[in-house]
Amino acid sequence: MDEKDRLEIIKDILFTDDREYIEKISERIALLEKTVNEKERLSSKVDPIIENQLEEFTKSIPTTLGPTITETLREQIRTQRDEVVDALFPILGKMIKKYIAQEMKALSEKIDSQFDFISKWKIRLKALFSGKKKKELLLQQLASAKIEQVLLIEKDSGILKASYSKTKTIDEEMVSGMLTAIKSFVEDAFNQQNQSLELIEYELYQIHLQSFVTHYMAVVISGPYGLKSKNRLQDLIFDFYNRYMAMNVDLVVDFPVLEKKTKKADKRTIERELASSFGNAKI
Amino acid sequence: MQKSKKIVILGHFGVGKTSLIRRFVKNSFSDKYKVTIGVHISKKVVGFGSGETISMILWDLEGTDDIRMIRNPYLLGTHGAFFVFDVNRPSTFQNIQEDLAVLSKKMPEVPLLIIGNKVDLVNQDDLNILLKENDISFDFLTSAKTGEWVEDAFLQMATLLKDA
Repeated sequence: MDEKDRLEIIKDILFTDDREYIEKISERIALLEKTVNEKERLSSKVDPIIENQLEEFTKSIPTTLGPTITETLREQIRTQRDEVVDALFPILGKMIKKYIAQEMKALSEKIDSQFDFISKWKIRLKALFSGKKKKELLLQQLASAKIEQVLLIEKDSGILKASYSKTKTIDEEMVSGMLTAIKSFVEDAFNQQNQSLELIEYELYQIHLQSFVTHYMAVVISGPYGLKSKNRLQDLIFDFYNRYMAMNVDLVVDFPVLEKKTKKADKRTIERELASSFGNAKI
Repeated sequence: MQKSKKIVILGHFGVGKTSLIRRFVKNSFSDKYKVTIGVHISKKVVGFGSGETISMILWDLEGTDDIRMIRNPYLLGTHGAFFVFDVNRPSTFQNIQEDLAVLSKKMPEVPLLIIGNKVDLVNQDDLNILLKENDISFDFLTSAKTGEWVEDAFLQMATLLKDA
């Protein structure tokens, strides 16, 4: 054993603790390197932290970024009014256009009724050209529109949800399918994604179609169907549809938030509601 | 309680979609060919032993040589579909795999049954060879004229939709 070997033995004896400590550090560095270099290991360590931070960030948005966003939007609206109007026009424009058209028609009907003299002549002329008696035409004018049949239809499938009818006509399920097919065809053919077919006219009857998100209603009307009648009918439809939505809570409320599962209204209940809403209604 | 289900019948021109429906709904057949324009709706209520009934609302869509050209709104809310081809006209089944791929993309998760129609016009042995040669998989081989397997095909669809 030479001096070098002896020195090694002494080093071994003297630095045992240090060596163990160094070995432990090396092991930890190796583990850390492995964690950093392996994607899955790293993500298992880092993901919960990021998620937590993100959650905190999301929660703090209203207080931290909210005022800045509001101010930016306010500034954008102030400085780029035209662009904002452009963006909103397709939505608001259509609503306004429809409202104005309806109001203009109402105004025109009002003016028509006020010009008694003109309307008398109108009837005379109508009688002259149509070959009908003046009395007949006057009676026609006085008669009010009547609701003959109401169908509540699923918008996509055309499946009949419920119906009300004064007299039994041809198969309502087939009529619902056919109306849906016509509606789909017209809306697709004219490529008007946000507009929907509203009225189908045939000799003695008119079918008013009122679309909602998941369903639409088809109301068959006989007699003269003017704007006044249309407004009254729309009110009836909207009132009924609100009640229908309330009956089917799952259409408006997300189920998981409810403790008990709410039962959908059955066909009979909806049909009873349809009959009471439209049965004796005057439009 | 009666359930209502929308079923669409698709396929090329003149494969016998309307005739199949007429056979199933009215149990009748006509040799005169009248092209379907747009869509024609029929209905048949099917009963099961359990007392349950299904109202099958059948949407007979106009035939098209290119299945991609079918108006998508007609397919919305579909519960079940048939794809019909004419076993005598290879042009109606030559691209069947592509056609079926298009349909499953347009109507994902909708049960689809494949029908080879007009089997009365072809010899059974020749038909077997033809189907094997073209590697065509089908669910039913029917004849709207004789009524062969027509009811079975529609009842199979009703059964599929009963519990859906």
